[in-house]
Amino acid sequence: MKHIHFTSFLTNNAEFEKNYIEKLVGQCAHKKFEKDAFLLREGEECKYVFFVEKGLLRQYYLDTAGKEHTIQFAPENWLISDRDALFFKQGAQYFIQAVEDAEVLYIEEDLILQLSRQDAAFHSYNNQLLHNHIRQLQKRIRLLLSATAEERYLDFTATYPDLLMRLPQTMVASYLGITPESLCRVRKGLAEKNQRRIT
Amino acid sequence: MSIKHVEMIATPSAPHYVGDGFRVHNFIPSYPRMDMKRMDPFIMLDYNSKFHFPPSERPRGVDVHPHRGFETVTIAYKGRVEHHDSSGGGGVIGEGDVQWMTAASGVLHKEFHESEWSKKGGEFQMVQLWVNLPAKHKMDPPKYQALENSKMTKVPLADGNSWVEVIAGAYQGHQGSASTFSPMHIYNVKMKAGAVADFTLPTNFNTALLVIEGSITINGTEKAQGDQMALFANSGENFSVLADQDAIVLILSGEPLNEPIAAHGPFVMNTREELIAAFTAFNEGKFGYLE
Repeated sequence: MKHIHFTSFLTNNAEFEKNYIEKLVGQCAHKKFEKDAFLLREGEECKYVFFVEKGLLRQYYLDTAGKEHTIQFAPENWLISDRDALFFKQGAQYFIQAVEDAEVLYIEEDLILQLSRQDAAFHSYNNQLLHNHIRQLQKRIRLLLSATAEERYLDFTATYPDLLMRLPQTMVASYLGITPESLCRVRKGLAEKNQRRIT
Repeated sequence: MSIKHVEMIATPSAPHYVGDGFRVHNFIPSYPRMDMKRMDPFIMLDYNSKFHFPPSERPRGVDVHPHRGFETVTIAYKGRVEHHDSSGGGGVIGEGDVQWMTAASGVLHKEFHESEWSKKGGEFQMVQLWVNLPAKHKMDPPKYQALENSKMTKVPLADGNSWVEVIAGAYQGHQGSASTFSPMHIYNVKMKAGAVADFTLPTNFNTALLVIEGSITINGTEKAQGDQMALFANSGENFSVLADQDAIVLILSGEPLNEPIAAHGPFVMNTREELIAAFTAFNEGKFGYLE
């Protein structure tokens, strides 16, 4: 069955009827991307929220020196978009790129707005998703302002339990706001602290 | 004499890369009817069919990654692989050798083309097999068995020029050198054209063969060519292999563990909770550290 993750995402998180979910899913385009392909580039128009069926995406920006800073990763079952560009019609400030070969559902902004107007249940569900997203962003700001590199690393692994194995260390470091060398030190320090004979 | 019939001949699917050093066709668990349950206790088989890697100063391979809950068995046919792990272990396996790593409670390791081999490049051909561990052994300490070809049990066939190398289990009463946690037989059969080898393996053991070189006829009727895998039905005990050309055949036969499997990436456990614990342990550095 196509879009299996998105269907179960909607089933598990809201009380929508099966017909409603099928109709909603049926209105979304499904696209495949090879590793390194871009779904969105800086300056482009963004008309979609992307839902990851398979693979891994990341959202990042380039600073004036050309250095990459990762805002978010989106593995399976995650939503990702440049909300500034999507809802406020600015040119995109971010790149969204496939870190692995990916299958992605394109959810149109118009569809989200239309369903929010027509359907109280969808409106409330979409609000819940937005609140969750804001909560994540607030936590990320707090950690970036005052947490140690180790605390940020542990939060990253709690948020994305299997990504350490799927990402190059440079990308993890760019998400944590530290250098790859600092990330090595954090991981080495944790290993020294926590390693024990596992029997 | 009850015949063990061929249930399916599988032709390799499109290859993909593991790291940048292993160009593999996956048979177990992605090939239709070769899922983890059907092939139990063999839960993964990646086959790097013969492939020419050009010379490279930087050895190609797979960087640091963890494993927990099973064993990785690397069977080298062409080329050389060097490996290192978080407990300080390491080694090189070359043509005809087998490395049997019991990851069990957890190791971090990395595998690369051996640096001198990499500088020259050449033909590379290997199998990596994952053997599941019974639940009671999943958290045992990790260990290695380096099975050098020169020390492997070799049982001659009737033609005098062909033989069966016993990697694990036994062939006609001759024991192989690997110790295993559940009953299984793994052989490399190296045959000259015209040679015949007979096998008797229990009905309930999940059994398959992979043709590494040449072409063969199974049970006098079924043809299998290089890079094809034959899956046997779980009925009958006996089958024969005739080498139509000089051939190398890998034979796998294992008693199913019949335990629940919770697998994600490099961890194969029995429950979802154990899987989450494996990810947490890895993320918190409990598998150690490897540069």
